[in-house]
Order: sequence, then structure tokens, then C-alpha cells
Amino acid sequence: MHFSISKHQGMRFSCLLPLLFFIGLSLSVYAQETFPVNGVFNKNHTYYAFTNARIYTDYEHVIDCGTLLIKDGIIMDAGEKVTIPKGAVSYDLKGKYIYPSFIDMYSNYGMPEPKKSHKSMHPQYETATRGAYDWNQAIKPEFNAIAVFNADKKASEEYRKMGFGVVMTLQKDGIARGSAAVVTLAETRENELVLLDKAAACYSFEKGSSAQEYPSSLMGAIALLRQTYLDAEWYKDNQKKTEYNASLLAWNALQALPQIFEVKDKLSALRASKIAREFNAHYIIKGAGDEYQRLEDIQETHCSFILPLNFPVFSNVDDPYDAMNIPLADLKHWEMAPANPAFFEKKNLSFALTAADLKDKNDFLKNLRKAVEYGLSEKQALKSLTVTPAGMLGISEKAGRLQKKMLADFIITSGDLFLVKTKIYENWVQGMRYMISDYSALDLRGNYDLKVGPDKHYALKINGEQDNVKAIILTAGDTNKIQASVKTDGPSISISYTPRLEKGLVRLSGLLGAKNDLTPEGKMILSGRGEFTSGEWVDWSATYQSDLTEPIRTDTAKKEKPGIGEVYYPFCAFGEPLQDLKVKMQYAEDRGQNAILIKNVTVWTNDSSGILKNKDVYINSGHIVRIDNAGHIQPQKGAHALEIDGTGKHLTAGIIDEHSHIAISGDVNEGTHSVTSEVRIGDVIDCEDISIYRQLAGGVTACQLLHGSANPIGGQSGLIKLRWGLNPEGMKIEKADGFIKFALGENVKQSNWGDFYTTRFPQTRMGIEQVYYDAFTRAREYEIRMKAFNLLSKSEKAESPAPRHNLTLDALVEILNNKRFITCHSYVQSEVNMLIHVADSMGFKINTFTHILEGYKVADKMKSHGIGASTFADWWAYKMEVKDAIPYNAALLTNMGVVTAINSDDAEMGRRLNQEAAKSVKYGGLTEEEAWKLCTLNPAKLLHLDNKVGRIKAGAVADVVLWSDNPLSVYAKAEKTIIDGLIYYDIEKDKKLREEIQRERARIIQKMILAKKSVR
Amino acid sequence: MIRKLFIFYLLLLYGGLAEAQNKSVLLMNGTAHLGNGTVIENSVIGIKDGMIVLVADAQTIRLKSLAFDTIIQIAGRQVYPGLIAPNSTLGLTEIEAVRAMNDFAEVGFIIPNVRTLIAYNTDSKLIPTLRFNGVLIAQATPRYGMLSGTSSIFELDGWNWEDALLKADDGVHLNFPEFPVERAPGDTSLHERKINYDKQKLELKKFFLDAKAYNEEEKHEEKNIRFEAMRGVFDGTKKLFIHVDYAKDINLAVNFIQEQAVKNPVLVGAEDAWRLTSLLKENNIPLMLGRVHSLPLRADEDIDMPFRLPSVLQKAGILFCLQNEGDMATMNARNLPFLAGSAAAYGLTKEEALQAITLNAAKILGIDKKVGSLEEGKEATLFVSSGDALDMKTNNMEWVFIRGKKIDRDNEQRALYMKYKSKYKLN
Repeated sequence: MHFSISKHQGMRFSCLLPLLFFIGLSLSVYAQETFPVNGVFNKNHTYYAFTNARIYTDYEHVIDCGTLLIKDGIIMDAGEKVTIPKGAVSYDLKGKYIYPSFIDMYSNYGMPEPKKSHKSMHPQYETATRGAYDWNQAIKPEFNAIAVFNADKKASEEYRKMGFGVVMTLQKDGIARGSAAVVTLAETRENELVLLDKAAACYSFEKGSSAQEYPSSLMGAIALLRQTYLDAEWYKDNQKKTEYNASLLAWNALQALPQIFEVKDKLSALRASKIAREFNAHYIIKGAGDEYQRLEDIQETHCSFILPLNFPVFSNVDDPYDAMNIPLADLKHWEMAPANPAFFEKKNLSFALTAADLKDKNDFLKNLRKAVEYGLSEKQALKSLTVTPAGMLGISEKAGRLQKKMLADFIITSGDLFLVKTKIYENWVQGMRYMISDYSALDLRGNYDLKVGPDKHYALKINGEQDNVKAIILTAGDTNKIQASVKTDGPSISISYTPRLEKGLVRLSGLLGAKNDLTPEGKMILSGRGEFTSGEWVDWSATYQSDLTEPIRTDTAKKEKPGIGEVYYPFCAFGEPLQDLKVKMQYAEDRGQNAILIKNVTVWTNDSSGILKNKDVYINSGHIVRIDNAGHIQPQKGAHALEIDGTGKHLTAGIIDEHSHIAISGDVNEGTHSVTSEVRIGDVIDCEDISIYRQLAGGVTACQLLHGSANPIGGQSGLIKLRWGLNPEGMKIEKADGFIKFALGENVKQSNWGDFYTTRFPQTRMGIEQVYYDAFTRAREYEIRMKAFNLLSKSEKAESPAPRHNLTLDALVEILNNKRFITCHSYVQSEVNMLIHVADSMGFKINTFTHILEGYKVADKMKSHGIGASTFADWWAYKMEVKDAIPYNAALLTNMGVVTAINSDDAEMGRRLNQEAAKSVKYGGLTEEEAWKLCTLNPAKLLHLDNKVGRIKAGAVADVVLWSDNPLSVYAKAEKTIIDGLIYYDIEKDKKLREEIQRERARIIQKMILAKKSVR
Repeated sequence: MIRKLFIFYLLLLYGGLAEAQNKSVLLMNGTAHLGNGTVIENSVIGIKDGMIVLVADAQTIRLKSLAFDTIIQIAGRQVYPGLIAPNSTLGLTEIEAVRAMNDFAEVGFIIPNVRTLIAYNTDSKLIPTLRFNGVLIAQATPRYGMLSGTSSIFELDGWNWEDALLKADDGVHLNFPEFPVERAPGDTSLHERKINYDKQKLELKKFFLDAKAYNEEEKHEEKNIRFEAMRGVFDGTKKLFIHVDYAKDINLAVNFIQEQAVKNPVLVGAEDAWRLTSLLKENNIPLMLGRVHSLPLRADEDIDMPFRLPSVLQKAGILFCLQNEGDMATMNARNLPFLAGSAAAYGLTKEEALQAITLNAAKILGIDKKVGSLEEGKEATLFVSSGDALDMKTNNMEWVFIRGKKIDRDNEQRALYMKYKSKYKLN
């Protein structure tokens, strides 16, 4: 900062602007019409003109030097040539910028904290909300934000400092969160702040303050939302014929509003969009900031987004041992998150920006600028803070631009908003002025000649930050420095210091901007009166001498766009860049041109031909095309075949894990109600679980992802192939039959859940039977009722209440109609026998008993009912009900003719299922061929996939594994795992990926250390 | 295959019942895996008075006729020293979900005085299932707390714990405080966890200093039995087993060993050991590795890190053995040979892998003078398998000896198998 006459004059203290924080309420157009006034009415229709400013009338239009004219809280005009009416208050904003104030469409401004419902040690199965509301405490569409909105001075100031003028406010609590309101951030009565009382309906997957047990899982929350959509629709038509429900009424009333859905990560954004599609809703998704990690899928949602700017903070990487614990995914996210908005812009996706989720609101502008540094255009940044949210909220006529008749909501800045040093001076909301920092304040920093009284003479140096200066006093001929305190308060200045060898403070007071404050040479003088420690009053003056010699940091240049790594699919270690994945998938589409030929290999056919030595196997178009003697297969002409030498190696069908819980987001159990057939694992597949890759390396190609065993009727399964890199939908097995988890015994009885879980029905094996009878009885009746209703004539339908569409019973009806198949967690023979009887009497079939450790005791019954078994090789003695478990189970069942599989139920064992199958050679003496089928063909049969996979034969889908050794041997390793004819795991490529991980980690850690230093 | 097994079973019944310990036995022509890295393709192994009295190559040795009461022809079969399962809760629990059956964790944070010795149940139904796979020795280990108690080592045969005992009160177990890890960027719980951690470290150090000072005097007017229990740790007659996994903690544990001049330390778990091989080597600290069949500690790690770790340590020249702590560890201890098998698949030789569950384990536990290898003068605790015992496919006990006594291979699981086989008329 330099002092010269002209500059100094430019910065002269303007007495026009009183240094009040904010000028009275009377500026508002929204006078409190209905309120009586204590005193005289104070109508004020003054014009305010802001001249000579660079005005952004909106994100894309700029007036280099223009005037903004406002009155009654409304913009009267904005342009280059605006006639300023007589009697207007005018501010000269030369060199300053005006922007429309921002709009944050995801705040909880002025909302009370949601009350935590009383959490007892005992589970709460019913809603604690009293009144005629929904059965579930987390469904509260009746919540109305405006009814509890209280303007909050501290919070509004915080928002205004960031540049906001308008916010949407909601209570971030529950799954259906009710309606949000749009309010301005002025400080006046609430009556004047409200722009929209019902602005949007809000949702999430989090039950929040509800202590009700259901839903305890992400898939439960999804099911609850789906059921509520159905209930509301049903209620609309049957309102008068059935119970009163204030929540469903409110739900229906909110459907016409914008629907805003908050999610915790990118995969949940996809999940929300799936619900939207199912129920013809259009969601605006409040994202988590990691959307760039699956942007192609995000684009497919066709949803608009609200993106946070809470970029990850530094991790603890200084100590290499600590750094080991930071996953590559976190490191990469740290590096790439600031580019998230830029990624959206590049794809031309519509998004608003929000300050939500920021722990420190001071980071908002910093992070906004960072997003720009990372490639977000300034235009888009402004748009996403003004016009976009205004449009989404339907307030484009009022806010987001500086145009006639719109709200006088604007900020005045020291310069280009996106420069690091630019300050927001003022934020005007509804025509009311809120000062953030004083643009008329002088920059005092420099060297002065200080004279105090008749004979004291010092050098005074003022440095530090402009709005927080520090000062040092030096006596001539003395090198000792004295710290001095310099404070300004508007035009007055006070300086205090303790002279050497004295006690107490010398205190000086004076004025800035007083008359004759320049020397004849044009240098500034600060002057006034002061008091020595003795009490003697003296005159003082400080004459400006020179600029500070040390450079003042002027960070005015815009930074270069930083380089960032590539997005990995999936976004974690062992993922790969999209390009590589695309190459692989393209190969899948372009199958005729590519093939795999495995030469001279030992083939475990799982077929009548047994184990064949010295064969060539040709894979093309995702299928096994031909098997022939070694040397007999030549790739088709023109086809590019990858040739693999299989000498000494073994080729088998891929391992299928009938009982797996990997790759599931947000809990494996909806372990709340006894019957939760409405929940679906398929809704919550986590395609980024490292277990997928690890199991590929164990030769696994497909899994049944099962619901847990916390309730007699659990949730619907997800059948996946381990297509590492693809999205959740891409992992699902096409046209697979539907399966569902049932469970018996200790888990269902809550035997090992601790002392407080003793109230849910059932607590005994007696009760478990009744749960099934009741559920299937209801399902039968439901099916009949549904069918009967559908046969009614239109007028009859109008008269009788329609049966409620019930997702829980739908799944059970599917079971009754052989369209969904049961895998039942089971241990002891009595309960197994029981379920067989229930099934017989209710007319449904059991597909598989899983675990079934006492299966050997009822093998004859299972055989005669055609029920399969999926069991552990040798687990036992971990619970009372597995006391009689024996490792000979699989062999006994197999020898009895029961289709038997060995499963994992465990992410670690899942990668060694070949070894587990081998144990039945040891225990029970199965042949190697029989043993191998336990983890390949037999689970394929149990999952109804054996017409496509499970065997090595011409025409089968090429889900195969190449092993280094006999696959049943503890010494065997999977070298290549192939799904649909594509290599998803390759032991050689794995080595390269490891190196890549180390390189990428090291690169980002070094970058983080540098970035951290530069902050310090 | 089934028929073959069945015949062996009958043979065993026939030949096994009357076998007394004082009768001498000669195992002829089997392939002997001595446990010290050596293999004798065609071996003779003589057992007398519970001890191994002869280990030799059948090609070169001349046997006095009738020197042994029984000669067992085991051509084509494999002989191994009894496998050793350290850091186990065998005998201290039966079914972990049933509270009444658990005797491995006592109340208290610093209770080195608590001993597994007297809680070890020789009648546990799990014991025969371990023997069935070749595991013949186990260390019964206390769990939880910081100093969780004192372990003892047993052979898996005996009427009561006195009979079964191999080494009483072999060592004190320290669960080393875990340095709090940042769980996610900006983890807010870190601060509180760090405070708690610092407190624990101080408490640990104070206890060691106090106990050491106390033990410098032989006699005390008022006895402190917690301090008394530490005497062996300071004079080197007891091991200090330090349970620790993460790199940072291993580093600090080594520092603790130096600072407290611990004479006989062993690190247990040590899953991050691959990062600190030179430190461990320099300080000559042996390791009982975490379960080979486990997942890598971190998502970014080599997917086969736990499989490969034994070979990394072998190459670094660090003394280590395998153990099986983790979920359902007690019943799972019978899979110990297959942990070694996996280690062999990932870089160890088969004999090195065997050594990691026999002689090395014996050395680390301080019982190698008695057991751990097929050597003359050691106890005859060994087994004969029809095939490679480290591979589940071929691990198949034919004869099992503990202290020279022929052990019945049967167990309850097998009895149930036979019962239902007969019910279904399967053969």
C-alpha cells in the first residue's frame, strides 16, 4: 500500500457513512402492516444510488461502470446510465464491484435443533410421535419449517459474511422431512423475511432423531420411502374409506413442490434417483461432493444437484506410519474434491452450490475460489449461487439478479470476487445495509515520525494486517524496540506504549481525517492529545515518512489450475482409470474381434466328462466356444485372440459364493421387524468394496449377497457377478431369479443380542413357527383381496376401499407363486423340520437351507423335498446351536443326493472357498470332482444359474478361473479370473496395480505435505 | 476313498486300544519331516518311554532285531512332530456365545497374576478335533485388559491339567496400547482417544517400574501378588508376550522392550511387521504372526499381504511362528496346518512352513528342548499322516502319539458322522 496524495484523498474518510453495523429497519418495503407502532410512524422511501461500480447484474452480464438504484428494498434500476432522482443518497463505489447476493438452498437457518426422542436401552418398536401421524417416526411430511422458523442474528450474520442474501431452510431430520421455507437474511421481524412459506419437500435416507427401531438400515429406509409413496397414493383415493392419517395427507400436499433429497455419497445419489424414477418424482439431490467419482452415472440420473463446498481437510501424513492408515481413496478425494463442481460444469449438469456441511463457514469463499482454481468457471460459480438456486426454488422473479423490481440483495466487494485478497465490504439484504468490513477505513501501515510532547521523538512503524495492525516504537540511537498498540475506531485513533525504563502506559488519542492532516509536502499526519504516565497532558503527532520496506503479500494473481490425478473406477486402490475400463468393456461389445485361447490346460468340466488333460479352450463373445485337444484350436481368421499358455495349470468354472455379505452399503440386516421381506439388498450394492477385488483374486466370479439373519423373514437377495469397476446395476446378474433370506434359531430369537432385546416376538422356536404361519396366511389373503378388487367394476371399485399395496406381502406372494426363492439360515434339525412342515402346509417351497449345520440329521427329509444345502466346511462350537455341527456335513448331504454348496458368509473365507471345498475330501472322503462342485456347479444350481455358468462346456458363459495348481490344493492360486469372457483379475496385472498404488500414494502425500506447509 | 478311511479306522481300533506308554514303537519307512527343515525320505523313528529314541535314515541304519515291541510300517506316509498352537484359548472356552463356558478373560486391567493353568479343561470337546488334524500342543492364553494374565502350555492329552501340562506359567501377556488412528479425515474422536491412550501408556510404564523395583527385594512384609507375578518377566524365566499389530505400535513396543530391558520378549500379531523387518532383526525379537488366513489390515495393501508375510520375515531372517487368534479362534485352531500351507503357497518352502508351526513355535515358547522337532531325546509327540499334512486335501491322521502314547483319533464329530452314516446306510 502506498500513500500518495491522490490515493489518500481517494481513501478519505467519508462522513456520509456512519459506522453503524446496520441501518434501521425502516428501509424495508415490507413494512409491518398489521403491527401497531409504539411512537410515530417512520416511513422512509429514500432512493439509494450506488455509482461508479463494476456491476454484475447477473452471472453473465457486467456493467463496467454503472449505477444501481434501489428504493424500498427493491431494485429500481441498474445500468450504465441511470438517472439518479433528487433526494437520493448516493455512494461512490469507484473501483468496487457489485454482485447479486447469493442464495443457499440447503440451510437450516433459524430452525430449532430436532429433539432427540428418548433413547432407552430397550428397543422402541413403535413411533413415539403422538397424534394421528404416520406409523414411522422418521416419516414426518407434516413438519412445516415456517411454523417453527425463528430469525437468528448470529447465523444470519454468518451467512451474510459469506455473501448470502436468501436461504432455503429446512430441518435436516428424518427420512421425510416435511416442507422447507425460503427466507431472506435481513434482521427484522420474521413476517418480513419470508419469501416462500412452502418452498420444497425434503427427504433423506437418515432417520435422524427417531429412536424407533425401523428402519435400521439403508435398504430399510429405501423400502420405507417406497412403501410411503404407495401408501400416499392409496390414501389419496381411499381417504374417506379408511383411517385418518395426517402424515399421508401432508405427503400428498407436498408432491407439487420441488423435491429435495439429501444423500451421503454418490452411490446413494443413484439410489435416490432410482426411487424418483419409480414414482415419477423429480429430485434435486443434495450431494456429498464425491459425485465426480461416478459422473457418468450421475449424469444418467437426470437430476439437478446441490453441491457442498466442504472439501476434505489434510490427513495426518507427516509420520509415515500414520500415513499408512489413510486409504488411497481418501488421499485422492482430498486432491480431487475441489474439482467436483468443475466436473459437473464440464458435463453441462445443472447444480447449485451450498455452504451446508462446512464446519467453518469462513471456508466458504476460500473453497469457492478453490473450486474456480480447479476449473469451475467464474460464470458458473456465480450462476450456481444465484440464478440456478433461484430457478430451482421458483424465486427467479425475486432474487438472483440485479434487475428492476427484484429484491435489493447485493454485495459490494473490493474487487473481483474470485481473487484471494478480495473482501466483501457490505451485503445489502432487502435494501438493508450490513457492513462486513469498512471500505472507507484507511490503510495506516507505514513508517512515521512520532513526536510526543515537547521533546520525545521516536520512529513509529505500523505493520500487520490492514484491519489488525501492529506497531513498534524505536527511540533514535537505540536498537531496543517497544511494542505499541494502535487502535482505530472510525475516525479516532489511539496509540499506547510503555517508554523504556518507565512503568505504566503513555496513552495518545487523536483523529484520522481531521482537517489539515497533511504536511505541506502532502504527507499524512496523525495528531491529537495524550497523557504521560505522570498524568501530564501533551500534544502529539505522527508524520508519515515512508512505505514499509518488507513486502506486503499481494496475492492478486489467479492461480494456475492444479494438476489432479485420474478418477479410478472404482474410486479406491486397485481401481483403474475409466479409459482402461472402457477399453475392457468395449472389447466386450466388440466381441467378434477379441477372444481368449487357453492352451494345453487341465479342464475341470464339472460335467460327465470329468477332468480333462491337455485341452485348448476357446472363449469368444463372452462364452466358451470350443474345447478340444491341445493344438487343435486356431483362433478365427482376423480375430485377435489373447493366447494363454495353460501348461501345468487348471481351468475351472468360477467359484460362486451362495452366502456372502460383501459389497453391501449401510447394514446387512434390517434387523428390526420380524418380517422385512420388503427390503432389498439389490438397492444397496456397494460396487467399491475392496472385498470384491480380493475375492476375484480367490477365483470367485459370482455371489449371492444375502440379507443377515436377524429376523425370521429377512430381505431380498442381490445376485452379482464381481465385475470390478462397474456400477451397482452393472454388477447384478441379468435375468436372475429372485431370492430371499429366511432365518431360524438363536439370531432370530435374539439369544445373543444382550439383556435388553427380549421383547420382540419371537423369543423361542415356538414363536418362529407362528411368525411364518401368520405372514403366509396374510400373504394368501392379500393376494386374494388384490385379485378380487381388480375384478370389480369401476363403480364398485369407487365404493369399496382398495386393498393397500404392501411391499412386504408382495414378496411373500411371489414366494407362494414360485417366483421368489428362499435361502433359509438354519442350524438345528427341529427348526429345519418345522419350516419344511410350514412350507408344506402353506404351499410354498424352500430352495436352500443355508449354514444347515445339522443338515446331516435331516438329509433324508431335505432330499425328499428337493431342498438344497449351503454349508460351512468346518465351523462349529461358536454358538449353542452349532454344538452338533460336524465337518462331515457336506459329504453326508452330498452322498444323500442333496445339492450341496460350501459358502463363506465371511469376506476372508470368501477368497479361499476352494480350500474350504477341499476339506470335504478330508472330512467324509468326497472325490475331488465332487468336492470341486461344492463351490462351483452346486451353488450355481442353488441359485438357478446352472444353465449358464458352473460348467466348462461349449455354450456356457465364460465365467472361468485359471489356477496355478489343482484348485483344491492349499498351494493353488487363481492366476486369471474371467467373467463374461473378460479378465477381471490377473495376477500379473495385480503386481502393476500395486506399484501404481504406491506411486499414486506417494505423489499425493508429497503434494499434501507441500500444501500443508504453504498454509502454515 | 471313503472305504480306505474306514479301513484305517478299524486298524486303529484294533491296534490302538491296548497300547501302553512303556511299550516301544518303531515307525518304519515313512517320510519324516523333522520340523527343523530336514526331510528323511525313508526314515525310522523309534519311540520308547514316551521319548524319541531314534531318528534315522532307513537306508543307512542297522536295527537290532526286536529292539522295539511294535513295528509300524508307514511306507508312503508322512511323519511330523506335533503341531503347536500358540496364543490359543483352547481349554478356556467351549462355546463362546455361552457366558458360563468362558474362562479366558478376568476382571481387571492389569492382572498378570491371573493364570490360565488352573482353568484349562482337558475334557474340552474341541481338543480331540485339533488332534485329528495334527495339533498336539497348545498355549492356553488369557485375553483382554492390558496385562491380561499368565499363560501355560499343554500337550493335548491328560486326565487333568497337571497331567497335560508341558510348561507352567510360561509368560505374561501384554496387550500393548494402540496408538489412536485417524479413522477419517478430520476425525473428531482422535483427541479423546489420544488422551486415553496417553493415560494407558503412563499406567503401563508405572506398573513396570513399580513391579521391577518391588522385585529387586526378595521378601516383602506385605506381598503384592500382581508384582510377584512379574518377577519371571524381569529375571527372564517368563516371556513377555506383547500383542501388537500396527507399525507405529510395533515401533513403540520395541522401544518399550529396550526401555524396560525386557529379557524375553515376543511380539504377537505384528501384522505390520513387513514394514519394520530391520528393526525387529536388529533387536532380535521373535514374532508370533497373526492369522495367515486374514484380510489385509488396510484396503490399499497387497491383497495377499497376510499370506505373504511369513516369507517376508523368513527372508529377513527373523524368528517367527504362526498362530490363529481372531474370530472363532478356539475351534479354528485345528486349521493351523493349513495356515502353514498357505504360507508355503506364498513363498515359504513346505519345510519352512512346517517349522513355523513346530520347532520355531517351540523355540519362541521356550519348550524346544522337549518338543518341536523329531529329534532323539525329545518327547514322542508326533503324528503320521497319509499325505501332506499342510494341505487340507491330504491331511489325514493315521497314528497320533503324545509323549509316546498312542492317541485315539476319534472325536464326537466323527462319532456323529458314523452314527448318521449308519442311519442312512451309507458306506
